Amino acid sequence: MRITGENTIAAPVQQVWDALLDPRVLVRTIPGCSRLEETAEHAYAMTVTAGVAAIKGTYDGTCALSDLHEPSSLTMRLDGSGAPGTVGATVEVSFGDNGDGTTLLHYDADAVVGGMVGGVGQRMLTSVSKRMAAEFFTQVERAITDPSQVEEVAPATVSEPKGDRVFTPPSRPPGSLNERSFLTGIAVGAGLVLLGVVAGRITRRV
Amino acid sequence: MTTKLFGTKVPRVEDDRLLRGQGRYVGDVFSGQDALHAAVLRSPHAHARILDIDVEPVLDVEGVVAVYTYDDLEDAMGEPLPLLIPHPTLTHGRTQYALAKDEVNYAGEAVAFVVATDRYVAEDAVARIRVRYEPLPAVVGIAASRAAEHLVHDDVPGNVGARMEQHNGDAPAEIAKAPHTLTLDLDVERSACTPLEGRGVAARWDPDQQRLQVWSSTQTATGVRAAVAAKLGLDLRAVDVITPDVGGGFGVKINHPWPEELLVPLAAMRLGRPVSYVEDRREHFVASAHERAQVQHIEVGFDDEGRLLGLDVMFWHDHGAYTPYGLIVPIITSTQLLGPYKPRAYRVVFESIYTNTVIVTPYRGAGRPQGVYAMERTMDAIAAYLGKDRTEVRAVNFIQPDEFPYEHGLVFQDGRPLTYDSGDYPASLEKIKQLVGWDEFPQYRKEMAAQGRRVGIGLACYVEGTGVGPYEGAHVHIETSGKVKVATGLTSQGQGHQTVFAQLVADELGVRFEDVEVVTGDTRRMPYAVGTFASRAAVMSGSAIHLAAKRAKEKALRIAAEALEADVDDLEITDGVVSVKGAPGASISLGTVAVLSNPLRYAFDEASKSATQFAVGDPDKPPVAPGEEPGLEGKDFYSPERSTFASGMHAVIVETDPDTAEITILKYAVVHDCGHLINPMIVEGQIHGGVAQGVGGALYERMVYDENGQLQNASFMDFLMPYVSEVPETIDIDHLETPSPLNPLGIKGAGEAGVIPSAALFASAIEDAEGIEITAMPISPSDLFTLREEHR
Repeated sequence: MRITGENTIAAPVQQVWDALLDPRVLVRTIPGCSRLEETAEHAYAMTVTAGVAAIKGTYDGTCALSDLHEPSSLTMRLDGSGAPGTVGATVEVSFGDNGDGTTLLHYDADAVVGGMVGGVGQRMLTSVSKRMAAEFFTQVERAITDPSQVEEVAPATVSEPKGDRVFTPPSRPPGSLNERSFLTGIAVGAGLVLLGVVAGRITRRV
Repeated sequence: MTTKLFGTKVPRVEDDRLLRGQGRYVGDVFSGQDALHAAVLRSPHAHARILDIDVEPVLDVEGVVAVYTYDDLEDAMGEPLPLLIPHPTLTHGRTQYALAKDEVNYAGEAVAFVVATDRYVAEDAVARIRVRYEPLPAVVGIAASRAAEHLVHDDVPGNVGARMEQHNGDAPAEIAKAPHTLTLDLDVERSACTPLEGRGVAARWDPDQQRLQVWSSTQTATGVRAAVAAKLGLDLRAVDVITPDVGGGFGVKINHPWPEELLVPLAAMRLGRPVSYVEDRREHFVASAHERAQVQHIEVGFDDEGRLLGLDVMFWHDHGAYTPYGLIVPIITSTQLLGPYKPRAYRVVFESIYTNTVIVTPYRGAGRPQGVYAMERTMDAIAAYLGKDRTEVRAVNFIQPDEFPYEHGLVFQDGRPLTYDSGDYPASLEKIKQLVGWDEFPQYRKEMAAQGRRVGIGLACYVEGTGVGPYEGAHVHIETSGKVKVATGLTSQGQGHQTVFAQLVADELGVRFEDVEVVTGDTRRMPYAVGTFASRAAVMSGSAIHLAAKRAKEKALRIAAEALEADVDDLEITDGVVSVKGAPGASISLGTVAVLSNPLRYAFDEASKSATQFAVGDPDKPPVAPGEEPGLEGKDFYSPERSTFASGMHAVIVETDPDTAEITILKYAVVHDCGHLINPMIVEGQIHGGVAQGVGGALYERMVYDENGQLQNASFMDFLMPYVSEVPETIDIDHLETPSPLNPLGIKGAGEAGVIPSAALFASAIEDAEGIEITAMPISPSDLFTLREEHR
């Protein structure tokens, strides 16, 4: 399935670019992300909990960024699997300068959603993923405008020399935007969108 | 006998129990017992290599008893599942493994099998298994399969499993010199049986008896038994398969063995505990079988009257990822396509092709709906081309009543010549025209048009090969109580076998209907049988039961004649009592005859006293005379030389909403000929159910695969089954009875008839209403709306 969309973030391009490549931002802003591990430069292993309708579960996966043309575009490859299904996606993300201090993020995801999520929640995927993407961007925007949120996120472990840093988000108050989005959203679809935007999430089963 | 039950509307004996919730299904087996429950890990990918399966995270889960992957399967279990019906043209047949080995070829294929203390734990455990896949390109849909840019199986070139050609005469030559020709390209999409009870299996290994008992929601108990014995390395005699109540089959349960039908018994044996598995609805969508999808190319040559001079058909049949059931479906399409017609020359070629989707095995109708669709669309096209009434074009092509037996010069699905035994198609046509009001329709259309309403009428004819061999058997046992116990090996899924078979026995033996008890699908009672498919139960088991009852009766009369000192020809049996005609005082009950039939050494009650060796028989002869057996039983088998061909015609009037394109059924009429009717009510019930299923297939149901081979509507939320509100409120039915000369009862099958012409029928009616050519079925309001836009 193909998911495309765009969102405007109220921050300059370079700042958005930096935020999206910062695992501390990602782990804080990806709905349902409980763990983000840097396995190489711009490559992460992650754990995302997500639910689509009645199908909830935890997904393990990887996300790798490539074709980095700072600060204008990148390609993200996402693979994730969990009990409810699997997601594999390639997302083209472009960063456009709106000229007014805001950034237009455009994403184009080509995703394969398999397993239970693919059979049950498929028809909701696109709309849910777009909504989750919007919520993700909102979170990113908030992270940029209020860096103190990100400061809280410190690597849980640091292992040299590969820099295998593991990030976990601070506990969130119930009912926060992220919490709500993962409860209501289709993890997979959202995952794709998010992925497209950033480093991704593996939630892709719908 | 007082009242003949054959041909009367005897109420179904099954219903009281089933409607009160007292049915016993596979899911009820072991209830209240300490049984284990299984769950299956299924591939999320339509096509992938399996790199690694990690079951470690499962092993410590409390309640998990065992986890199996391919590596745990030994000997025959490690071989691919059987290809049940091989055929010389199936040059590249492939079947899956009970658990996937190295590669998965459809989303839903079984990868691992967990046994736990309950289903919840088993499913949780399944969720913890980690499989690493390397996804491969998925081949989805007939076009992608034919393009063969990617292969489903590396060693199957072009994705073609089989290519088969049959012909009678030189169709291309006839078309070349025909006054008129037409070409049609048609599509039929996938659907599935979707019985309300999915597949299920339960098994218990008895270490004391060294015996395996298996319960399966199957259409063939003997088939499952043979497969389980072969795969698990057991003697056939060490395996019992019992079919409890089955909540619908419609074809999907004739395929066997399903992986779970082997894995559950395997686990029961290895663990020494009873194990049960019932698939859930999603599993039924992605791990059972589908049917129907075909693409058809038809070339036809005809004369001014619409007579078929040459008919040349090529079609592509999507058989999914594997071919366990061989080529039965496309062979039926290719032969039954001919319907009641006799083209001068016919050629049919099909390719049965692989896709990375769920396997295709027979679904009620089994290839006939597609064949009828091809032929009837062609008939309508010819009529439109010549400006003739659709019934006229059909009539000039009918095989006539005096032409039976009619040989088509082709080979049918049973390997026998395609020879129709009997029928009267012109009479059927007259009946259906009257029933639906064909001749009055133009006036009706005018009246409706005046109200701004758009209506169309459609007609479709079919011939259905039923009662396919090779055989069925029956055992009839008259007990000393006078009760009659009947067993036949094929299985029941709600058809009313217990009722109609008891009718046959009551009639033949002259016993009360209530005294007859029928058991089906239990290999302990009848180990020789084939199965329930191809509308064959009444014809095959009905005939066998009739013959077995006849044998029991012959023996009863022989013994009674001796006891009553009368001639066999002077005896009659009424309500279980044998009496001498015209001498009501001279009589003996069948129960007593049963006592006399079994000379005893030991008396254990009053009745048996009269049967001891000092009481019965000629002292100068052995107590059991040469050629005799003790007991009042009859066993017989029925094996016809070929299938018997039922037929019918459906007509429908539909209304299409000019704005929304909603399709409404205003009138539905059926003329049906299945020979003599054992129970007209049950036949009508079969037709009602078939029509309902056909409405679903024509207007609602489809399997929506995305390009990656993910089934997107794998639930009853998204897969639209017709409710009672979508099925015509009344179905006008008229019967024609042209008996079959092939069996003693003169009957033909009726189980699939209702669903066979639906796609063709609705296409015809909607085309008539809209004036737009309909070439793809099913058709939804959205499809019709789009068609209108395209033809604007």
